[in-house]
Amino acid sequence: MSLKDILSPLTVWRRTAEKPYTVIDPINDRPGAARYRGFHKNDMEACIGCGTCETICQNAAIDLVPVEGIETTNGDSGLRPQIDYGRCCWCALCVDICTTSSLTMSNEYIWVDTDPEVFRFVPGAENKPWDNSELGYSRAEGYQLLDPERVEMPELEPDTRLTSFIEMVQGYSAEQAKKEADRCVECGICMAACPAHMDIPGYIKAIRENDINGGLALMYQTNPFPASCGRICTHRCEEVCAINHTGDPIAIRWLKRYIADMADESDYQAITKTAEPERTEKVAIIGAGPGGLSAAYYLRLLGYQVTVFEAQPHGGGMLRYGIPEYRLPYDQLDKDIDLVASLGVEIKYNTRINGLKESNGPKESDGPGSDGGPAPSFEQLYQDYDAVFFSTGLPDPYTLGIQGEDHPRVISGISILEDVTAGKTPDLRKSVAVVGGGNVAMDAARTARRMGCEVTVLYRRREVDMPADEEEITEAKEEGVKFITQAIPVRIEDKPEAKGEQAAFVWGEAEMVDQGEDRRPKPVLQEDKIHTDLFDTVVPAIGQGSSLDFIPEDMAAKIGIIKYKIKVGLHGETGEPKIFAGGDISNRLKDAISAIADGHRAAKGIDRYLRENQSKKETS
Amino acid sequence: MTNAPIIPLTDNHQAGRRVDLSSGKYLKLWQGPQHPGITGNMSLELTVSGDEIVDLRTHVGYLHRGFEKLMERRTYIQNFPIVCRICVPEPDFNEYLYAATVEELAGIRVPERANWLRNLTLEMARLASFLQWIGGQTGAFGMGVIGQWGITHRDYVLDLFEELSGGRIYHMYIIPGGVRGELPEGFEERARAVLDKVENLLGDIERAMFHNAVFKDRAKGLGVIPREMIDSYGITGPNARAAGVARDVRKDQPYLLYDQLDFDVVTASGSDTYDRAWVRFQEIHQSLSLIRQMLTRMPKSGPIHTQLPNPLHWKIPAGQTYRRAECTRGEYGYYLVSDGSGYPRRVYVRGPSYTHAVALMESMAVGANIADVAGLMVSFHTYPPEIER
Amino acid sequence: MNTSYQYSYTNIEELLEILVEKGFIAPATEQQHATVIGRRQVQSSDLAFVTVAPEAARHLILDLRDRFGFTHLVLLTAVDYIEEGKFLLTYLLHNYELHHDIGVQVPIGREAAEAGASMESIHDLWAQAGTYQRELKEMFGIDFPGSPRVDEPFILEGWDEVPPMRREFDTKQYSETTYFPRPGRSTNDPADYMRQKLYPKE
Ligand SMILES: Cc1cc2nc3c(=O)[nH]c(=O)nc-3n(C[C@H](O)[C@H](O)[C@H](O)COP(=O)(O)OP(=O)(O)OC[C@H]3O[C@@H](n4cnc5c(N)ncnc54)[C@H](O)[C@@H]3O)c2cc1C
Ligand code: SF4
Ligand code: SF4
Repeated sequence: MSLKDILSPLTVWRRTAEKPYTVIDPINDRPGAARYRGFHKNDMEACIGCGTCETICQNAAIDLVPVEGIETTNGDSGLRPQIDYGRCCWCALCVDICTTSSLTMSNEYIWVDTDPEVFRFVPGAENKPWDNSELGYSRAEGYQLLDPERVEMPELEPDTRLTSFIEMVQGYSAEQAKKEADRCVECGICMAACPAHMDIPGYIKAIRENDINGGLALMYQTNPFPASCGRICTHRCEEVCAINHTGDPIAIRWLKRYIADMADESDYQAITKTAEPERTEKVAIIGAGPGGLSAAYYLRLLGYQVTVFEAQPHGGGMLRYGIPEYRLPYDQLDKDIDLVASLGVEIKYNTRINGLKESNGPKESDGPGSDGGPAPSFEQLYQDYDAVFFSTGLPDPYTLGIQGEDHPRVISGISILEDVTAGKTPDLRKSVAVVGGGNVAMDAARTARRMGCEVTVLYRRREVDMPADEEEITEAKEEGVKFITQAIPVRIEDKPEAKGEQAAFVWGEAEMVDQGEDRRPKPVLQEDKIHTDLFDTVVPAIGQGSSLDFIPEDMAAKIGIIKYKIKVGLHGETGEPKIFAGGDISNRLKDAISAIADGHRAAKGIDRYLRENQSKKETS
Repeated sequence: MTNAPIIPLTDNHQAGRRVDLSSGKYLKLWQGPQHPGITGNMSLELTVSGDEIVDLRTHVGYLHRGFEKLMERRTYIQNFPIVCRICVPEPDFNEYLYAATVEELAGIRVPERANWLRNLTLEMARLASFLQWIGGQTGAFGMGVIGQWGITHRDYVLDLFEELSGGRIYHMYIIPGGVRGELPEGFEERARAVLDKVENLLGDIERAMFHNAVFKDRAKGLGVIPREMIDSYGITGPNARAAGVARDVRKDQPYLLYDQLDFDVVTASGSDTYDRAWVRFQEIHQSLSLIRQMLTRMPKSGPIHTQLPNPLHWKIPAGQTYRRAECTRGEYGYYLVSDGSGYPRRVYVRGPSYTHAVALMESMAVGANIADVAGLMVSFHTYPPEIER
Repeated sequence: MNTSYQYSYTNIEELLEILVEKGFIAPATEQQHATVIGRRQVQSSDLAFVTVAPEAARHLILDLRDRFGFTHLVLLTAVDYIEEGKFLLTYLLHNYELHHDIGVQVPIGREAAEAGASMESIHDLWAQAGTYQRELKEMFGIDFPGSPRVDEPFILEGWDEVPPMRREFDTKQYSETTYFPRPGRSTNDPADYMRQKLYPKE
């Protein structure tokens, strides 16, 4: 043992004079680091109650619970995460995956209480001292568990699009669809936003699992138009998609289309058929649009004998005669319609139901197949069938309500679209002004572009106010459609030199006048900013109204038709128990999926009505 | 004591010898389960004759949480917060190896900067673990004051972990795909300050511990591991290096950025408690140098994480792999088997203590003095949870 | 270059070729399931797995240790392929000179005859092997006759259920029946809840 080894340890004696290393008052003097994973905070306003935090928590520490003062609304389940600190390990995976980034952690880590129950709490709802702490853990930039980017949809280039009516959106490949389907968190918040309440997470999961037929069967439970809706649906679901809060929403519509495209048509019947017994009751349906055919499909599945009367030579309603082929090819629409027909639904085309009082049409006893013959009247259907459903849509274009609108160079948007569908070439010539900002305006403008016209869209409000889909506006621009916003039509004049061959469109610039909170600003004409432009054709495309002349007046009163509008019950009930209605004529949203949902609900309403009738008969 | 059992001796070298407890010559003594040294919850069942140990059996099972089993019913992302708990002093090795095996089977490439940050945390974890070990080693020989310094300075390293990862002990920083955050503002300066503080301490430790007659007296010659035991007992890390076996995964199968860093494998030849301590002490110096090198050479920006598939549905192609890393105690390894589903089929965690604390300890304790058992145990630097994953 | 051992080889592929020559594994290269005897899988330039019959395993392991330089037993564990009625034992061996790993994998019957799952012991080849085997006995119910203290509990105490690492042992069910749940917890599915709130009658 060397002396050095005895003395050496003593050389560190000065450490005895060191101040203690410990923090004297840790409760006050030792806050957690700026990133400390301490107690949870949740921004109650931003959270949508999607439950993704609950799904990822490997400790099953989270429950989704109702919270006082938080309403269930479109896009917000009204639930909020409650965390059990008896289970939580403060891993913050819940924070990392939170779709809205509402969930974070404070740097607070001291919480003492004698009641164990308080440690099961709803962050953000209980006024905790750390609720407003600035410091604490939140997801770092450059690190994200959920992919914010949508798989890009292959589309035709604008130049190619202009040369034909070929479908521009080309559809996902299997790999792309799976990748997009992978982004879904399966919260199901979208289901409430979908007018038909389709099981969206369900069919997206089917894509991930390569179960196309399973996905198709799920879609048919609520929507017999998957091929069409997969292309043109207004996709309200995507607006509320949880992922929309952190990036691009899931391409729900394109995924629906993927299933419809992939499913083998020969499997369709087997997939969608149910085993309900046949029933003897007959139901008449007026209008083979999505509303009518949806009702027909579900009624048929329930075993009823269904006949659809359609004025046009083909089915689909506005999906065919309104929506242009480049958005919804006819063969895809036919695929949907054919399935409905194949289940035994009889569709009588070229048969316009009329409002004649005395029945001069063929008797029901004449049997089917009388397409060419005189059409039955509403009255007649009412008498011959056990129930009637009508979904006759909005065929009459609204007029602009300005002077000179009867000019020969004014052609409505809807009639242009209808002509193109019918194979006729609308007389558009070169320069075209389309008035309006909805989907009809976009369709008319883009159709005109495809016919070689120079197209200007005039809209009275700002671009953000346009009811048309954002992507439609973008696509129209890509295709060379010009936009003039805040433009109010004033009158249409006939310049003498144009001799009725051109219309002089007089419009004025609008000023947007604030209408106070929650109301959109109103465009007000600035009298000093009036312009006059010459166009070959002016196309009003500002909406359509119903045409219900086929319903005799006394019947209309019974049904409850007031000023071309019908109020119906949840299941399409009208004032007359035997008569049900739905689709564009009665709903607020006026899109395909709402009409489909109306048809489905009306089928349930009719089924209930007929069953009640039957049991009444049986008991009496 | 007529019915006392006759127990066969555990050590292979004594095969065939038995201890007859009824002879009155022996005594059974339990050390633990509360911290024999600071190696965690396990216990040593000693059979002693006088104060000499004739047989030792180690008992684990006091903190079995069944991690490997739990992992089979959790998704790949859900396992990420679990794995760190398999080893308190060096959780990061679990995080890294879990992520590395998952990424290998899933075919995920990690951005370069994330690899630097991973490497930095692994070396910081080594530093913290060594400092904690100083606490144990000196404490076991009655030099608790030095131990306090070690523990305190470990805490300074944990402060750095806290600001980087949001947690002091369970960092949950290395996640499949990369890491969970950038270095906070001013981290480098604060880290360098901590490194300087530790370096300063090391001088004192050298004088007070290694040039200390008491420590020398007790540690020299205690628990000499013969060279030929190294392979036959699966001994790795400083326990092997102190026996002159120059093996270090960081050099032999460099992972992350170790092949770009400047360091030498530390060895010694005495293979006793003192030399093992000396090797660790040198490796603390080495860690300081490596961390400084990384702080200097690391790219200053760049992506820290690769977009993973949605972790809620994440499935990993069927396959199996094993990856290892050099933690302070030796070879840490993860064996991952995927059957193609969203849940691992099997995760096997290899911690160095599995052999150091059981087969090795049972064999080396024989012949030692009761008072030296704790010091011997700590000199193998073992940690029970990685035995009973 | 590995010189101190009887068989010298430089890379994993070469090693596998020698093992083929020696009849341990099949020359086949196509990917089969890990439990198929003769199967080989090269995971990377320093890691491969081979599957051999139980009778051949000890011989191969010994050869690898003494003639090929795989002196380090990294780990020994099992994977439960319950659907095939098999356990797959994995002996992971490491060559310190070339820094190669080879996983020798051995399928054994999960419930072979009355004896239950069983495998020849290698406790005499590595001192720590006995610990692995003791754990496998306890956690999987795989016996290694002759292995020291193989029947002594390792981690568990007074355990009389299914060996817990077997796939059929359900930890969740076990904890639900063994411990009492914390009262006061219930959750809601967002989609169902929204249906009740927003469109209950549709
Ligand atoms: C240009 C345009 C673009 C559109 N784009 C979209 C879009 O992208 N996405 C979307 O979701 N929706 C779109 N819509 C709206 C959508 O087409 C309608 O909401 C939907 O078609 C309404 O369905 P429906 O069944 O109520 O009526 P309709 O589809 O209008 O069908 C009514 C049917 O009843 C027939 N009918 C009417 N009267 C009689 C009678 N007396 N006897 C016999 N048959 C009769 C009609 O011929 C027609 O076939 C668009 C509409 C238009 C006009
Ligand atoms: S993941 Fe976020 S938005 Fe969704 S429920 Fe949890 S805290 Fe709310
Ligand atoms: S921090 Fe981790 S354990 Fe705690 S609630 Fe969130 S996900 Fe669950």
